[in-house]
Amino acid sequence: MVVKMNNVVKRYNELIALDHFNMEVVEGEILGLLGPNGCGKTTAISCILSLIRFSKGEIEVFGQRMTPNSYDIKKKIGLVPQDVSVFDNLNVQENVDYFCGLYVDDKKTRQKYVAQALEFVGLMDYIKFYPKKLSGGLKRRLNIACGIAHKPELIFLDEPTIGVDPQSRNFMLEGIKELNRQGSTIIYTTHYLDEAEMLCRRIIIMDNGKDLVTGTTEELKKMITTSEIIVVTFPLISEELINELRNLPRVIDIDTNDEEYIIKFENGVNNLSNLLEFINEHNLSYTSLHSKLPTLNEVFLELTGKELRD
Amino acid sequence: MNKLFRNCLYQGKNLFRDPGFLFWALMYPIILFTFFNLAFSGMMNYEPVNINVGVKNDSQIAYILKDIDFLNVHEISGDEIAEKLKSGDISAFIDSNLNLKVAGSGINQTIIKEVVEQIKQTFVLNRPLEKIDFSVDYLEDRNQEANNVAVTFYALIAMVSLYGIFAGIETVSLIQANLSDVGVRINVTPLKKGSFLLAGTIDALLLNLMSNGILLLFITFILRITLFYEFFYSIILIIMGNFLGVALGIFVGASNKKSEDAKSLMAIAITLFLSFLSGLMGPWIKVMLDQKAPLLSRLNPVSIITNNLYRLNFLGSSKSAGEGILFLAFYCIVLILGAYLFLRRKKYDSV
Repeated sequence: MVVKMNNVVKRYNELIALDHFNMEVVEGEILGLLGPNGCGKTTAISCILSLIRFSKGEIEVFGQRMTPNSYDIKKKIGLVPQDVSVFDNLNVQENVDYFCGLYVDDKKTRQKYVAQALEFVGLMDYIKFYPKKLSGGLKRRLNIACGIAHKPELIFLDEPTIGVDPQSRNFMLEGIKELNRQGSTIIYTTHYLDEAEMLCRRIIIMDNGKDLVTGTTEELKKMITTSEIIVVTFPLISEELINELRNLPRVIDIDTNDEEYIIKFENGVNNLSNLLEFINEHNLSYTSLHSKLPTLNEVFLELTGKELRD
Repeated sequence: MNKLFRNCLYQGKNLFRDPGFLFWALMYPIILFTFFNLAFSGMMNYEPVNINVGVKNDSQIAYILKDIDFLNVHEISGDEIAEKLKSGDISAFIDSNLNLKVAGSGINQTIIKEVVEQIKQTFVLNRPLEKIDFSVDYLEDRNQEANNVAVTFYALIAMVSLYGIFAGIETVSLIQANLSDVGVRINVTPLKKGSFLLAGTIDALLLNLMSNGILLLFITFILRITLFYEFFYSIILIIMGNFLGVALGIFVGASNKKSEDAKSLMAIAITLFLSFLSGLMGPWIKVMLDQKAPLLSRLNPVSIITNNLYRLNFLGSSKSAGEGILFLAFYCIVLILGAYLFLRRKKYDSV
């Protein structure tokens, strides 16, 4: 086990930021911490890294208790903080070289690592630029380069794509997958569902400082009642027919969005054929109809009663 | 050692390229000195003046005092003393026991006091009075108004010697995870806080000394003002001022959670206030403090530097320089210990 958190409680006065939080990270995986802003993701990372005190519980990193003086453990860790954390008055290359040098003493090795990191994040054309001259996306890439240049075994990426343009975002996500392929274990916090689904082997869904559920994307989706969603657009349909729709077998709920009706079904067979039969029986005309599997948002909604972006 | 050098190099680059440092440590003192020089233009080059001093008719030291060019010795009777002091005909009266009577406080009285002190020392050493070193230049070519200007200039030099305070604040902010984003990253690296702080302190000292050096070169070669005649103690005092500035910056940086901008404002306020009390805005405040609250004047680090630079270079006296240096060293130690108590906490409540 690379990281183990057991019943960790962290309070900020009256506010409970982590409420008996548990987490286990296996070597070689990308673990996603998924939850809305303020749910405790960054607090969990800060506790693991021994940056902040916690009130209760145990944390082990690489099988040892982590303290501010655990320099041997720190050598194996890389952090990409949520906010861009670089020296404003050092240029791109100097920043990466400075932080890499805190881990790697040998000059030749360091030079090689710095060049690789800059290549990796696509900043080779900007090595003499100061951070304030970089766009938001490029700054985030620099933030990543500073955290990974020394080739750490365990990397914490705390919402690294916030405020990043789509092009930079895709570039970064591909890079993170590559880091994992190269052998790094990654803890990735995000409130973007698609990122978590795309990157993470396992996901912990968090809310109000608690770890609600843990599992692979498929495991999480199986945990909820909704197993199929059919979206159909009716230009004209009465309230009575909608109520009749609710009586179809295994229908859990119907949400409406203008003329679009989002019908959620429990796990079972013939959900789509039952719906088509209903449409034919009542001579209803529809302009579009498609079926989809539940997303992590449905998982989160069912677990917490609110949307992830609420 | 290699790591320390790397830290010094990069932290130094970061500090040196900081627009705030460039302004406050390099540009601001030069601008201030230029304005002061324009305001007091020519006041450093007045004709010599004579200081009127009274002695008794039969005084044994009258002939010694008469040998000093800038003193006008008046031999007066006992009942005239109070009247002449009050009227300002004489600045001070020296009795046969070398006690000084004055009606007020000022530069003239300070100079006479220095002369009397030297005569007393000669007595104590059992050396003949003829051996008194009159080559000591108490006045050079300045009058009292020029002295006032000199006090202001020395106070200004004392103030900027403390400007390492800004670099001290910056260094501490960078190492604290609850105060800066870079602090978060640094705190999870294997770098020890002490190493970062040491490198920051070295950089702060070197850069502020460099800026002080540039200022002194500017004063000497561009403004053509000669303020330094005694170099050994003067340099030590300025270096100690730099140490104190950095230590104060580290203490201010470590002791509270205010933003770096707020701390920089605190630094400006602290240095300006201490300099104001030392005569930066005019020697009247310094004279008043010397009279009403001499302890405050004696404890104020900027006053310590100002007074000693003045005494060393204007009055040729180094007798209080050692004490001043010790005081400054004591302040440095107290501030560093205080900062250590704040910084030794390794974990934060929040970041």
